Amino acid sequence: MQLKVENLSKNYRGNVQALRGVQISLRPGILGLLGPNGAGKSTLMRILATVTRPSSGRVSWNETDIAQNPDSLRNTLGYLPQDFGVYPNLSAIEFLEYLAAVKGISADASKKRINELLELVNLADAAKRPLGGYSGGMRQRVGIAQALLNDPQLLIVDEPTAGLDPEERVRFRNLLSELSGERIVILSTHIVSDVEAVATSIAILAHGQLLAHDSPEGLLASVAGKVWEVVIPSDQLQALRNKHLVSSTAHRSDGVHARVVANSAPGLSARPLEPSLEDAYLATLSAQRANEHAGAAA
Amino acid sequence: MNLARSIYALARADFLERVRRYSLLLTILFAGFLGYGAATGRIAVHLGDYRGVYTSAWIGALVALVTTCFVSLVGFYIVKNAVDRDRQTGVGQILAATPLSKVSYALGKFLSNFAVLSVMVLVLAIAAVAMQFFAAEDPHLDTVALLLPFLLIALPAMALTAAVAVLFETLPVLNGGVGNVVWFFAWAVLGIGLPELSGKHWLDPMGLTTVANDMIAGARANIPGYKDSFSLSIADQPSKIVETFRWHGVPWTSQIVLLRLGWTAAAVLIVLLAALFFDRFDSARWFMPSLRRAKKLPPPQLAEQANGGTALPAKPAVAVHLTPLAATARGSAFFRIFTAELRLALKGVRWWWYAVAAGLLIAQFAAPLEISRGPLLATAWIWAILIWSAMGSRESRFSTRSLLFSCANILPRQLSACFLAGVTVAILAGAGAGIRLLLTGNSSGLLAWFAGTLFLPSLALALGVWSGTGKPYEGLLTAIWYVGPMNHTPGLDFTGTASGPLVIHYAFVYIAMSVALLAFAFVMRSRQLRSD
Repeated sequence: MQLKVENLSKNYRGNVQALRGVQISLRPGILGLLGPNGAGKSTLMRILATVTRPSSGRVSWNETDIAQNPDSLRNTLGYLPQDFGVYPNLSAIEFLEYLAAVKGISADASKKRINELLELVNLADAAKRPLGGYSGGMRQRVGIAQALLNDPQLLIVDEPTAGLDPEERVRFRNLLSELSGERIVILSTHIVSDVEAVATSIAILAHGQLLAHDSPEGLLASVAGKVWEVVIPSDQLQALRNKHLVSSTAHRSDGVHARVVANSAPGLSARPLEPSLEDAYLATLSAQRANEHAGAAA
Repeated sequence: MNLARSIYALARADFLERVRRYSLLLTILFAGFLGYGAATGRIAVHLGDYRGVYTSAWIGALVALVTTCFVSLVGFYIVKNAVDRDRQTGVGQILAATPLSKVSYALGKFLSNFAVLSVMVLVLAIAAVAMQFFAAEDPHLDTVALLLPFLLIALPAMALTAAVAVLFETLPVLNGGVGNVVWFFAWAVLGIGLPELSGKHWLDPMGLTTVANDMIAGARANIPGYKDSFSLSIADQPSKIVETFRWHGVPWTSQIVLLRLGWTAAAVLIVLLAALFFDRFDSARWFMPSLRRAKKLPPPQLAEQANGGTALPAKPAVAVHLTPLAATARGSAFFRIFTAELRLALKGVRWWWYAVAAGLLIAQFAAPLEISRGPLLATAWIWAILIWSAMGSRESRFSTRSLLFSCANILPRQLSACFLAGVTVAILAGAGAGIRLLLTGNSSGLLAWFAGTLFLPSLALALGVWSGTGKPYEGLLTAIWYVGPMNHTPGLDFTGTASGPLVIHYAFVYIAMSVALLAFAFVMRSRQLRSD
């Protein structure tokens, strides 16, 4: 089982480049796709889900080009888009039955599957109520259930935890971990903690370019020895931000405790810290911005 | 000052959003088509075998009549989406949280509607100038005589159309497909019916009677033996005219001008009425289905539901086992998609709809055959218009495209199933007439009936997939239904009763059109699948 993305680009009208030469190869496991807003994550997800065609490049699923033969992937695809709707007059069961039929799942199998999925996403009690009366989080859970209907080998979930309460978020993370065995899961988000909890590999996308693709350990290693804590008066915080990448701050009685990512200690009082994925992510983005500025200046 | 500014800002933003859409090009093309029709004599005013010389006054009045008549009808469907767009995009929620008053909102949307319709009037006014130049029957261009009908007839009619569109959007019963059907009849009453029925010439909101009466008076004075006939018609070829006469235009007396301004003021009053009904994007104000349903729910849920959206009580996370799906569990399952599509089509339909449909079905069995297969069948079919109008557009309307378009073999399976579900509805609704035609061995009638069952859903599917909304189908089918089956116009009568000896010919034409419409729907959906 392999999903291979080769030199993938997508241009929109008005000379907008959403993706630029993205190259990545995936095997079973959970890929956490991180990136700021507008990085091209959703465009990449939509291309991988065969909903959008790339402008150039190739995506292959088990050696088959999905642009040429999208059904080769669609039969084993589960997709939760970032924005999706439901039919408000149908109940959750009816909506899932409808999509199960469209996905070509037999009546008997779909009935059992739907019941299990509704339990799984904690909607069994509301399963017969019209979807029009559901809250945003409940609809999102219906979306998660529909993505899992056909027991997909490739599961693509775009911002899946948006609108979920903390308990449901944890529940969903656990579900992803359980599901990840013999399938490829792509989890797109800008919430680093979601990825940190479940991802077996992480890709960072910004301005349509793939900046990094590594294991969590590899990314953490890239900032090992470069994360510091400094305690400064609050009026010096802006100066610190101007000079270094500050990944977080906390106001305490002795001053501001700032978490800084820097190659060398940002001051004599700086104390080294264990790096986090958030540090690695921000450092990668910061490095890319610095490269862009250097390129623009040249 | 702030009030005027906020109304202007709202109207401007709405207008800009509309003019930057591809659909405005279609709107202008439609106006251009009307202008072309008028300029080439295909859309014309005839007073029996006579017409006026193409002077500025005649051309101005003619094109203003065409504008008033057709742009008000079609324009309504074009502009009746201003409030709905805010609802769909969520902008309404933002606006609802601002100090913007309901009156300001309604007036802003009215002005935007009016501006869009005015663009169409402008295109036709330009076409009128060109028409006089190309017709070359009168070299003298009298700009005032040419443009006053646009200003005093067309624009007040557009104001009324724009206002009624806002009113319909704010009324829960009329903001959907029912309103689109109702508008056709409202337009007929406002345009022609009101002065005719009331016998009061001033009760003429669209101004058509005002102009027509003056043209008739002009013909009477100039043509001996003229018999008061008047028609505004569309034809394939320009009609033959025996004689022309010089008409000097409507005398724009202060009384007429005040009446026309009065109708413009009436439009503003309609907008104020709309503001009264406007729910300020709080749909719970009108319908509280969640509250009604909540009666059956336990108390904690009731409290949450009353707030309009609804989280279930937190439950501890439980590990649930997901049974792997066996390879044998997958298949094409076309019949299941068909039943799912049928269920989707009928879901949400209220009991009274079924009651009327059942009544019409029984009447088809009980009435004389000619009535059963004619007006009763036509009425039974038009009764299902809102079920068909959702076909092909449901995916856009409810944003389920990305869910569906990522499924395998979606195009041949789902679209075919959707079409067959539509055919099933047509067969069930018209079963009474169909069975009787079968039992009486009326094969040509049965063929026409069959053609109708194919044509109605295929037209819906094609227009739905193409436009992403049910409005074109609702407007077009209502018009065809009224002109065809109800007024016995051969060719437009999809029940086949008005076709006489040509019934088989027209049945095959309808079957061929159905095939073409289906092919169009498939091509369009295929393009959407590729380009989304």
